[in-house]
Amino acid sequence: MKKLLCLFLLLSVAAQAQESSPLDNKKNEFRVDVLSAIVWQKASLSYERFFSGNFSTGFNVNFSDSKQLNDDFDDGYRNNVPKFEFNPYVRYKLSKSFKSYYFAEVFASYNGGDFKEIIRLTDENGNGYYTTEKSKYNDFGLGGGLGYKMYIKNSLALEFLAGFGSNLFNREKSPDVISRVGFNIGYRF
Amino acid sequence: MKKLSYIALLFVVVLFNGCDTNDDTFYKTIYVEGGNNIVTFPSTTTYNVGDYFYVNADLSRYIPEPGETNLLDIYKTTGNAPTFVFSYVIERKINATDWEVVTVNDNQLDINEGSAQNGAYVYAICQYDAVDEYYRYNVGFPLLTAGNYRVTFGYNSSSTNSVELISQNSSRNLIVNLNAALSNLDGNGYFYFNVN
Repeated sequence: MKKLLCLFLLLSVAAQAQESSPLDNKKNEFRVDVLSAIVWQKASLSYERFFSGNFSTGFNVNFSDSKQLNDDFDDGYRNNVPKFEFNPYVRYKLSKSFKSYYFAEVFASYNGGDFKEIIRLTDENGNGYYTTEKSKYNDFGLGGGLGYKMYIKNSLALEFLAGFGSNLFNREKSPDVISRVGFNIGYRF
Repeated sequence: MKKLSYIALLFVVVLFNGCDTNDDTFYKTIYVEGGNNIVTFPSTTTYNVGDYFYVNADLSRYIPEPGETNLLDIYKTTGNAPTFVFSYVIERKINATDWEVVTVNDNQLDINEGSAQNGAYVYAICQYDAVDEYYRYNVGFPLLTAGNYRVTFGYNSSSTNSVELISQNSSRNLIVNLNAALSNLDGNGYFYFNVN
């Protein structure tokens, strides 16, 4: 119990001992993922709320309508195509500096899209035949990642992020792996 | 610097993981165990120079499917595929241990039904006949030189004693991959014959 109390005190002191920065007073940030937009034709927007310590939290929303993914789906090279993701996350700053730092995050993901499967039917003459049937899927997943963030003029944010996780409840239809990879440009205020 | 390397590594790993979509294989191929003798050839083991070695295929539009009570309509399944294809190789013995693939010009083939292209193997094309609702192939391969010959159907197949017939249809339709057992092949998937 004493050890726990000492650890708590040490963490509190460490948090208070961090250098102050103009960024201290800017608690909100919006970002757009340039990499996802270019590579995967995915609109990816994020919001992050900073707390006084090393923690921050936020959410990310993605909408995808990639022609390549849709063509691969229609041509049978994949059996699902993600359409949307809602990813709330919590981050912990790993570096002391406020202007550029590494961070770790854990995220949840509510995601969905289109799913296609091959089914066998019987026609009006009693003969069997195979065809494809499309449906929607939704799933919930958890994951983690690492990233690096830097600020220009205390407002313009550049952020690299790489993380992955796993869908949990509907993996027969949803992708097994969910990834959060991006190069974000944002504004902190 | 080390941290940056770790993040770069993670970035690459995640990029490749992002490719995982349950798409270990294509989601458009139906594998069916077909019956015996869809593809046949004569069991004759002695020919003369100038004879033809004929390979025949009769594939019905409606085929029995193991585990199912009704027939499978492969024409409808494939979105009205006009052809099914398979391949085979004819070789001639050139010394005590070696065989070479025998090739002829396409116009030397005796094509009765379907069509064929000859190169490193014979690419057999079974053409759909809408009247009798069969995919059919009957092509003779000219035997121009005396010697010991053998034929195998395992060139584009993972099986030695059967032949894979694969539908040729538009990319948006399902592909049927039919595995049909062959008679007269030995344990290694060959049929041997002589040309005098």
